[in-house]
Formats: sequence, C-alpha cells, structure tokens
Amino acid sequence: MASVRLESVVKKFGKVIAVNNVSLEVKDGEFFILLGPSGCGKTTTLRLIAGLEYPDSGRIYIDDKDVTFLEPKDRDVAMVFQNYALYPHMTVFQNIAFPLLLKRKKLGLTKEDIKKRVLEVARLLRIEELLHRKPGQLSGGQQQRVALARALIRRPKVWLMDEPLSNLDALLRLAMRAELKRLQKELGITTIYVTHDQAEALSMADRIAVMNKGKVIQVGTPDEVYLKPKHVFVGTFIGAPPMNVIECRIEEQDGKYLLQCPGFTREIPQEIMASKLVKTKEIILGIRPEFIEVIESPAPDTIKGKILVVEPLGSETILNININPENEETIIKVKLPKITKKFRPGETVFLKIDWSKVSIFDKTTGFLLE
Amino acid sequence: MSTEIKIKKRYLAMFLIPGFILVAIFVIGPIIGTFIISFETPNGFGLSNYYDVITETSPTKALVLLNDMPRPPPWGALIHNLVWTAIHLPATTFLGLLLAYLLRRVYGRSIVKSIMFIGMVIPMVVGGLIIRFMFDKYIGIVPNLCGLIGLTGLDKTWTSYPDTALIALIIGSIWLWTGFSLTIHAAAIDSLPKTYIEAAKIDGASDWQIFWKIIVPSVRAATLTVIVMTMLWDLKIFDIVYAATKGGPGGASTVLAFVMWLYFALDLAYGKAAAVAVILTLLTLIPAAIYIRQVMKRG
Ligand SMILES: Nc1ncnc2c1ncn2[C@@H]1O[C@H](COP(=O)(O)OP(=O)(O)O)[C@@H](O)[C@H]1O
Ligand SMILES: [Mg+2]
Repeated sequence: MASVRLESVVKKFGKVIAVNNVSLEVKDGEFFILLGPSGCGKTTTLRLIAGLEYPDSGRIYIDDKDVTFLEPKDRDVAMVFQNYALYPHMTVFQNIAFPLLLKRKKLGLTKEDIKKRVLEVARLLRIEELLHRKPGQLSGGQQQRVALARALIRRPKVWLMDEPLSNLDALLRLAMRAELKRLQKELGITTIYVTHDQAEALSMADRIAVMNKGKVIQVGTPDEVYLKPKHVFVGTFIGAPPMNVIECRIEEQDGKYLLQCPGFTREIPQEIMASKLVKTKEIILGIRPEFIEVIESPAPDTIKGKILVVEPLGSETILNININPENEETIIKVKLPKITKKFRPGETVFLKIDWSKVSIFDKTTGFLLE
Repeated sequence: MSTEIKIKKRYLAMFLIPGFILVAIFVIGPIIGTFIISFETPNGFGLSNYYDVITETSPTKALVLLNDMPRPPPWGALIHNLVWTAIHLPATTFLGLLLAYLLRRVYGRSIVKSIMFIGMVIPMVVGGLIIRFMFDKYIGIVPNLCGLIGLTGLDKTWTSYPDTALIALIIGSIWLWTGFSLTIHAAAIDSLPKTYIEAAKIDGASDWQIFWKIIVPSVRAATLTVIVMTMLWDLKIFDIVYAATKGGPGGASTVLAFVMWLYFALDLAYGKAAAVAVILTLLTLIPAAIYIRQVMKRG
C-alpha cells in the first residue's frame, strides 16, 4: 500500500512532448484512473511511474520516497501492459506464476502456495481451463486476462494497469470491472488504471485525471468531472452523449448583458451571472443533454427547435434538435430518461434549459469561467 | 489434382533439371567418387584403408591415441576434434549470447560487434597466423599476461610445446568464432519485442534472471543454428592448424582434416585420405541431422 506523487513531470520523445508538466497525487488505497483520448500520454505516464521511462524533468515519489530514477524492480509495482507482453515460451500457468517464482525464497512461498495462488487468480479471471496453453494459442481477450492475472497475483505497492479490459467482449468486461473493483477494495492496493473509455472511468474510479495532449486537464471524483468540468474538453470527452456546446457572444445593451447564441438571444440568467463572465466577450455554453426539458407547446423562457432525429436506446431516448433555422448543424442533443413515443422527427418543440447546471467556458482558452 | 497444376509441376521439373545436373556432376559425383576410392586397396576392394587409418599409431597421423593416459597430447586427431568441440562449442555459443545480451544497451555496440565480426571475415589462414603471434613468448599477449600474473610455466610460445599447442589453438579459435554467435544472437535479441524484457523487469527479475529465463529460451532457434554451424566448423577445422602449428609439435595438435591432408599431399595415399574424408563426412552428418530435424519440426 502506498501513495504515488508526480511533480511537474515532463517526458519528450524527440520533438513530441508525450507528458507535459504533469503533477498528480494518488492516495493510499485509491482507485485512480487516467482518462483521455488515444495518444494523450496515458501509457507514457504509467511507464514513467513503473520506471520503464525516465522523465526529462520532474520527480516521482512512491510513499514519499523519490523513485524518479529507480529501476522498475526496486519500485515494487505490478503492471498490465497494453499489448499484454506475455512470455511466449511459457505456458499460461508459468506466465502467471513467474513474478512469484522469481521471489519465492524472499516471500517464503512453497511450490504448493504458488500453485494455489495461480488457481485462485485464474478462477477470478475465468481462465483456469487455459493454464496449460501457450499464449500463442489464446484469443486477444484471453491473453489480456492472463496479463491481468500476472499482475493481480502479486501484492505490490501499486498496481499499474494499461487498458486491461479493452479487448474483452461487453458482458465479460462488465463482469471484470466489478471483480477488479471488488478485489482492489478488498486488498486496498493503490491502483492507477488507464483507459480511454469514459464510461469505464466513471463506473470504476475513486478519482479520475482527465488528460489531453500530454497535460492533465482536471482531477476529480467521477461526479466532479461529470458535473463540473473545468475545461470544455472534459465536458465533451465525458458523457454519452457528450455535453452540448454552443458558441455565444456577450453584448452589453442599456446596462444589461445579453447572451447572443445561434438561434436565440436572451438576457443572462441570474444563475450564471458572474463578474468574470461579463468581461469575456466570447464564450462557450456547455449543457449536459439531461439538463434540458423538452416541451411541446410554447412556454416562457424556452428556445424553439425542430426535432431532426430520435434515437431510442432502450432505457433512454436521445433527441437531436436543431435550434437555428439558418444552420442545420446547430444541434442540441437532449437525453430523456425513458422510452417515449411522444416525439417524432420534424416536430417543433421548445427547450427549457436548467441554467443552474450550465457550464460557461472561455472560448479562447476553453477553461471554465467561475 | 487439376491438369493445370500437373503441367506446372512438369515445367517446374524442367527448370530444376539443369541445376540438378550441375549439383550431380560437381557435388554428388565427387562424394561418391571419394567413397569408392576409400575402399580401393592394392588387393582390390576392401576395408583395409579404414583399418589402417584407425589403427595408425604414428602420433602425427593417428586418429585415436589414448594409451598411458592421463598425459598431454598427442591424443590422436579424432580426439583432438572432440576436445576442440567440447570446449569451443559451449564457449563460443555462450560467450556470443552473453555478449549480445550485455551489448544490447551499450553505446557504440555496433563497433564492438564489428570488431568481433572481423574474426569471421578474415581468412582462417590469417587467423592461424594471428593465433601463433598471440601465443608467442616475445610478442604474444597471452604468454606475457601469464608472465605478468606469475604463471611462469605458461610464459612460453604455446604453439611450440605439446602440452599447450592444442589449447592455444582452441582458445584462439574461440576468439575467431565468437563473432558468429554474437551476430546471430544479437539479431535474434533485437527482434524480440522490447516488452518481454520490460515485463520481466516489472515482475522483479534481475538482469541475470532476465538473461536465463527470458532471453535464452526466447532465442532458442538462433542458438540451435549457432550450435550446428559451430559443430560443423569444429569438425572441418583445418586452416588454423595448418597456419599455426602444422599439427605439431609431434602431432600434438592434429585434427581430422589435417590428417586427411597429410595422407593426400605428403604420402600420396589417396585411399587412406578418402577413408578419413568419409569418416569426417559421416561425423558432420550428426549436426546436420539435428538441424534438419529441428527445421522440419518447426516448418
Ligand atoms: N517510444 C516512443 N517514441 C516516440 N514517441 C512516442 C513513444 N511512446 C509514445 N510516443 C508518443 O507520445 C505520445 C503519447 O503516447 P502514449 O503515452 O502511448 O499515449 P496513450 O497511451 O494515451 O495513447 C504519442 O504522440 C506517441 O506517439
Ligand atoms: Mg496507451
């Protein structure tokens, strides 16, 4: 068990800055997720923590011990590689047992103990039938679970997992998420988990660090990053469908401030009035699809729109609504938390925005205006 | 089988025939010829050539000479070849593999590799001369080093004494041939995905454990190639001996190929030379068979 701390870590590959001044603090026993699109530097960050890369600048601490330039084996971390990295000449059993066999004497384990542990973790990951095969005879999803097993069999200070469930089919993935989370909580091993899947991050993490282009944009609990995105990128990366973004201008008129958006203009609502806001001219409105109410008849303080597409998704319905007759592409997505036959494409509807839940971002920097 | 494929096969055979004829004339023919000559004796066909070369007791031409053991060489050419293989094969195979692993991360490794490779590209006759110089009392590095560290018994020209001539050649040939193992193994290690080694590091393996548990098993195919080629090289060894010691002193460093040459070029005993040649060829079939079996298994 341990805490992990990164201080202003920078890692470059030639001209590419893979990790750009990243600072993070992962608490003891925490399930911490690095979330971001492909190529944003998640794997590199994990490899820096593992000791497979050394930073160009910055420090890395595990349990307040400076490990920045320590060898991987002296950091006591286990890692699941994105591409599995199984040993091709060993059977599945030998692969999983390998880390324990290396330290058998130090850990005081007998061959029987190791066998028991391997069977335990194999059962957890549902690969006990595969133990005598070689990695080359397994499917991608099976190999991935072997890779996971090889990490889970250890009790290191930190578990590092690079997209460990990405290759499993949907049902198995859901089951494995739950098992992994349960095991992690049960053993209390600090875990840093990489994924590009926002739903996975929201469902598993204690805290999430959202990354983009080598930088950490926001760190917070799933609720915080979902409801209070610090940057327009976070809003649009997290959530399905993502946050609606509308580029608007703020105009001063007769001592009042007006919000001019494509398709509608209105006085700035009391809920979002802020001194910083009125100094900014160009802003981005961010509205989550579930914080918009759809009304069939005209009502005060609503925006008129036309339904383009209705997407029924089983337990919910997504409406794509155009709010700007001059531009077909000004679309707002609305999420209705139930199946409904009420709305049809082509209908005119009126949207009521819950202004207390709206985020306002600076258009030039993308950051939240508070 | 469709007629089209049959026709194609016929064409294929036509294309192969000229090559096959050349091989038959220049390779298979002489082999069969040698085989026949080895049975030709003054009194018709028989095994006497084989009997004579195997029971020969003159130290310079004997194949096996193991009376009054233990004592320094000469032990007979066949035994010398076996001793040579027993030391040279594991030494070069392992050294090359270890160096390939250690040089993996070393800056300027291509320079080291090139130097090691020189041992393989220089003519072996030159290699033999270099060995003679290396072990020379006055200018050789090995005797001088031995003198420096107080091994006064070895502060001499190794190739001139029966007790050291053979081992000098063997040590020298290790130096000449390690480049082969190094080159083949380095290529094999370079082609391994980097993540194997990284995963092992994370799993807590030391460099030594990574070498034995990951690298060695992962490059098995390359190692087999090295072993087979080295066995063949050890059996066929000639030029080094010819250039460095002429099999001497007193037959203390002869090898099969050298004895064959003695029968052929000095005694003009073609039947006996052919008999040694056949024995040598039969011995080389062992590594060749190992190799072919492995290749078939993999293919
Ligand atoms: N070994 C490397 N050499 C050069 N560029 C690299 C290397 N590893 C990663 N990169 C680059 O660094 C950036 C971040 O990569 P990575 O950490 O793998 O992203 P992610 O895991 O988030 O997809 C990418 O632009 C990638 O091309
Ligand atoms: Mg990655």
